[in-house]
Amino acid sequence: MPITPSDRTQIHRHPERTAPDAAIVHAIIDEALTCTVSWVDDEGRPRSLPTIQARIDDILYLHGSRAARAWKAVAAGAEVCVVATVIDELVLARTSPHHSMNYRSVVLYGTPREVTDRDELYAAAMAITHHVLPGREADAAEPRDKDWRETLLFAMPIEEASAKIRTGPPVDDEEDVALDVWAGTLPLHTVVGDPVPAPDLRAGIATPDYLTGYRRP
Amino acid sequence: MTIDAPTPRTRVRRLPELGVYEREQVHAILDEALYCHLAWIGDDGDPRVIPTIHTRIDDTLYVHGSNASTTLRGIKAGVPVAIAVTIVDGIRFARSMFEHSMNYRTVIVYGTTEEVTDIQELSRVFDAITDQVAPGRSADARRPSDDELRQTTFVKVPLSECSAKISDGSPEEPDDDLALDVWAGILPLHTTPGEPQDDPLLKPGTPQPPYVANWRRPGATPA
Repeated sequence: MPITPSDRTQIHRHPERTAPDAAIVHAIIDEALTCTVSWVDDEGRPRSLPTIQARIDDILYLHGSRAARAWKAVAAGAEVCVVATVIDELVLARTSPHHSMNYRSVVLYGTPREVTDRDELYAAAMAITHHVLPGREADAAEPRDKDWRETLLFAMPIEEASAKIRTGPPVDDEEDVALDVWAGTLPLHTVVGDPVPAPDLRAGIATPDYLTGYRRP
Repeated sequence: MTIDAPTPRTRVRRLPELGVYEREQVHAILDEALYCHLAWIGDDGDPRVIPTIHTRIDDTLYVHGSNASTTLRGIKAGVPVAIAVTIVDGIRFARSMFEHSMNYRTVIVYGTTEEVTDIQELSRVFDAITDQVAPGRSADARRPSDDELRQTTFVKVPLSECSAKISDGSPEEPDDDLALDVWAGILPLHTTPGEPQDDPLLKPGTPQPPYVANWRRPGATPA
């Protein structure tokens, strides 16, 4: 499905950083570990909540909870704005105003629907587990009926969306390039530490392969 | 100013035992997070969000904008905002798919923005936000001129209505799952720097400062 900019996904500041391509939007959603869901509450105030997400084709799935009021508003049909951000590099310019970051971010608007179909619920739960750690969905014990009753997942089409991406070295004013100040980029990575087994892990269970060498995506 | 008792917006309802209202913990999470998600309400009444960077001075949170940004132009003049930061510390593996979780620290700040116009305050905020991202950098980079300061938009929000939610520890599972043949535990996640890349236009012989090679987030445990 093509993604076309609407008035609110049109990027005004640094329009050259816009990436309207659906594949780029999808890749950022897949790589970001978490996202922030924002909506407007009954009193007309902005509200935000972090959660995890997953994508199946052109559908974004959001992990909710029956207890949090946030999801009650969303379940009642609130319009939401979902943002996911990946920071790739710090950009150190010679002058402090020109410092920046190389990043990839997605802003997505829509009205999520609650997932009620059991097959879709199952596929979305698998996708969320896979999103966080590929391989785990085939290993962990499957949800029971009780678990399904407590699980709240939402779906929204990835249609009204935009991506913004910055890459490359710092951009200083010409007269500052000769300054004696180091300038460049510092790549940032999400790396894993050593897996810490649960204190009550049964003896003889090996650390699974998908835990070693984990990286995003 | 202190962080008030939780309001209906900042009281944590899901897993309320995780809610943290202590000021030091809220501050530490804001100081460690590299960026935030800033939400406000558009002219059409729908929510709007941008990722941006922030810094804290005492009990005030400053958020970076730009005079060229239509979005931030919309929020300069005293409008209600929600600011969210999230740090994921690890993935929590339970034996059952349902009980999987993350170890995380998150803060939500609610408030009404005020634009920073005082040139001395702008200058202090500029230093703080530069050091927020790369501690030590503000003393090294060329300082902003008054014109550059005036070209940059910062808005501030008092840290009075805010809450943190912190999840750490081991997976918690029903007893009947503990005997399953599935690995359970924590996979810690860290943000670590790669090899610094010199700017192609770097003046030859300019040494790489130690705060670049040794960069790490404040409070972060080394990988």
